Amino acid sequence: MGRNLHKGLREILVHKKGPIVEKWRELIHKSYPPETAQFLKREKDRFSNPIGSSIEDSIWPLFDQLIGEADPSTTKKLLDNLVRVRAVQDFTPASAVQIIFALKQIVRKEVLPAAQKKGLLREYLEFESEIDRFGLLAFDVFMECRERVWEIKRNDLLKRPYLLAGGMCPSYMMKRGIKHLEKLKKEITQH
Amino acid sequence: MAKELTPQEMLRIDLTPPNKDWMDIPTVIKPGIYCYPAKPEKVEIVGMPNPHVWSPLDDDWGLPEDWKETFLEGMRERLNKHRSFKIFMDICVRCGACADKCHFFLGSGDPKNMPVARAELIRSVYRGEFTKAGKILGRLAGGRKITEDVLKEIWYYMFQCTECRRCSLFCPYGIDTAEVTIIGRELINLFGLNINWIQEPVANCYETGNHLGLLPHTFKQNIEFMCMDIEDFVGVTIEPPFNKKGAEILFVTPSGDVFADPGIYTLMGYLLLFEHIGLDYTWSTYASEGGNFGFFTSLDMAQRLNAKIYAEAKRLGVKWILGGECGHMWRVVHQYMNTFNGPPEFLEEPVNPLTGTKFENAKSAKMIHISEFTADLIKHGKLKLNPKRNDHLKVTYHDSCNPSRGMGMFEEPRYIINNVCNNFYEMPENTIREQTFCCGSGAGLNAGENMELRLRGGLPRANAVKYVHERFGVNMLSCVCAIDRAVLPASMEYWVPDVNVCGVSELVGNALIMEGEHDRPTDLRGEEIPGFAKAEGEEEVTEDV
Ligand code: SF4
Ligand code: SF4
Repeated sequence: MGRNLHKGLREILVHKKGPIVEKWRELIHKSYPPETAQFLKREKDRFSNPIGSSIEDSIWPLFDQLIGEADPSTTKKLLDNLVRVRAVQDFTPASAVQIIFALKQIVRKEVLPAAQKKGLLREYLEFESEIDRFGLLAFDVFMECRERVWEIKRNDLLKRPYLLAGGMCPSYMMKRGIKHLEKLKKEITQH
Repeated sequence: MAKELTPQEMLRIDLTPPNKDWMDIPTVIKPGIYCYPAKPEKVEIVGMPNPHVWSPLDDDWGLPEDWKETFLEGMRERLNKHRSFKIFMDICVRCGACADKCHFFLGSGDPKNMPVARAELIRSVYRGEFTKAGKILGRLAGGRKITEDVLKEIWYYMFQCTECRRCSLFCPYGIDTAEVTIIGRELINLFGLNINWIQEPVANCYETGNHLGLLPHTFKQNIEFMCMDIEDFVGVTIEPPFNKKGAEILFVTPSGDVFADPGIYTLMGYLLLFEHIGLDYTWSTYASEGGNFGFFTSLDMAQRLNAKIYAEAKRLGVKWILGGECGHMWRVVHQYMNTFNGPPEFLEEPVNPLTGTKFENAKSAKMIHISEFTADLIKHGKLKLNPKRNDHLKVTYHDSCNPSRGMGMFEEPRYIINNVCNNFYEMPENTIREQTFCCGSGAGLNAGENMELRLRGGLPRANAVKYVHERFGVNMLSCVCAIDRAVLPASMEYWVPDVNVCGVSELVGNALIMEGEHDRPTDLRGEEIPGFAKAEGEEEVTEDV
């Protein structure tokens, strides 16, 4: 959105960035069961709290993307960081990406009254549409992640050594078998 | 258990889960998390009870009529037999120190994956069925009765624990949830409810000596195929000894090294190393498996499958045993083998024939780890190495749970890597050594159908790899465990796609300068090594056939 964001509205958003993103973080934490949410909030070490750190690393710059010059590849990378984790957890697709759309609830509370006062309702609604766009992008990312999981499952199956008594992994057998034949051929022609 | 959603439920998108006591939150068994059930014939082969066809998604799990009595009797028997189990049931004060230490909790966010909660699934039954307070007060005393739903819940979460013991490191009382899982799985196995990914390797191992069910000629042939590759890539001819009576050393490694990519390159590393030093050793086509999926089934089964190692050492008349790169194999070797099937008086305390080093740590069990052996060789200058051949790699090292937390082996692999590579970077301190994060797929959970579970469990490890990848450009994750080698590639593919996985012995193999070797433009995978490949226009390397 960036350039098109009304200057006055941007000022309000910049001013409110802290409380908005903090509430957003809380909301994302609370999409997990209560004990987990508490932990995600409490543990600050990034290696002891990979879910929490993936959230923390993504939401602040994502918000900057929303109110500044959005760079498509950065936005996607940030959304990926946020959604990749959720794509393998106990979330339905909707609840996995809903955390983006839910940002609207917060912004509405924090920013809408001030925006209205300044007569920026239209601009405000456009900003909400931008959040929707990010939400849809998040869904793209979610699908990519899910497809990747299936690819990995398939690859795992293909690579999996078959548990056939006396059998060999077919691809390995083929690879080695062809080599063996070539070697034999060479030997025969040489002698 | 898995129920159809009503249209209303389908339309509801809950962002905040309910705040209820764990006993009131029903467990929903989900595809992607569980592994397929054991095939009845594989249960039958090893004489385990109640072989039958069933599905975790069905309501009816085909439990025998008297299953409750059997469960409680099984629990009573184990409470009497294993003091540790009894103590772990009694003394947990629910302080929560272990709660956030499990990779499955950290990756899934599911509170029932907190180690304290995992143990509590069984502990609650212990209280409700075996203690006075629990029998009278029930839930007030944290107790509950065993029911089908409780059994299903236990089943679901016992197969979401990799028995990695990270949690035990943080418990002020030393409670080892892995041991609770071990007993939990034993109880599950009273009803034919194992997962097939464990049961089939167990049956195979029982029948053919290894998890993959490789018959002796196939086992031998596969290793010979690898010798052909070595001939191509290195230019030396190796004829490995099989079942050689009177050899000094018996070498035993997980069959994954014989069969699965990238384990096979690690095996090529072993072959080169033994050839390099002219070791008097032998492979065995009978003790053709170092790993022991029996350990993930029951301690009795672990003992049965382990027995072949000493038996074969005796038959072949070797002096001592050398073991390959494996994880849980070392837990069994290090902590159980000696009392399971030993002590083996017919063997000698391992002595490195080239350096004279006595491995006093293995005085009783008579088996040492290949990393201990290789590190000793390097320390005494017995290996000719060119670490530059690994210069294109920026390597980090994943401490596999069992060799590190289980047997305390931290330095040897690092010493080796530092001698065969020039670029080694450690992952952050709270993710390595004793505190290492599990690969996420150990203890028999390395199937394909439970990939979501594996990826969740792999997140904490991958998160640390990602850090060194981004910070230092790390592109190779090394380890000394066959399961790690089999499963970390999938985890990397999802979380850190630019990082590859290898065994430490593969790195050794690539760095070894072999007598009579030809130009080696490629590594053991047949991939060109930058700086070693012939520049265009230069004469092609002629293959020495
Ligand atoms: S042993 Fe490992 S997998 Fe099992 S509960 Fe403890 S930390 Fe989790
Ligand atoms: S750390 Fe030990 S005592 Fe504390 S909750 Fe965990 S198992 Fe119980």
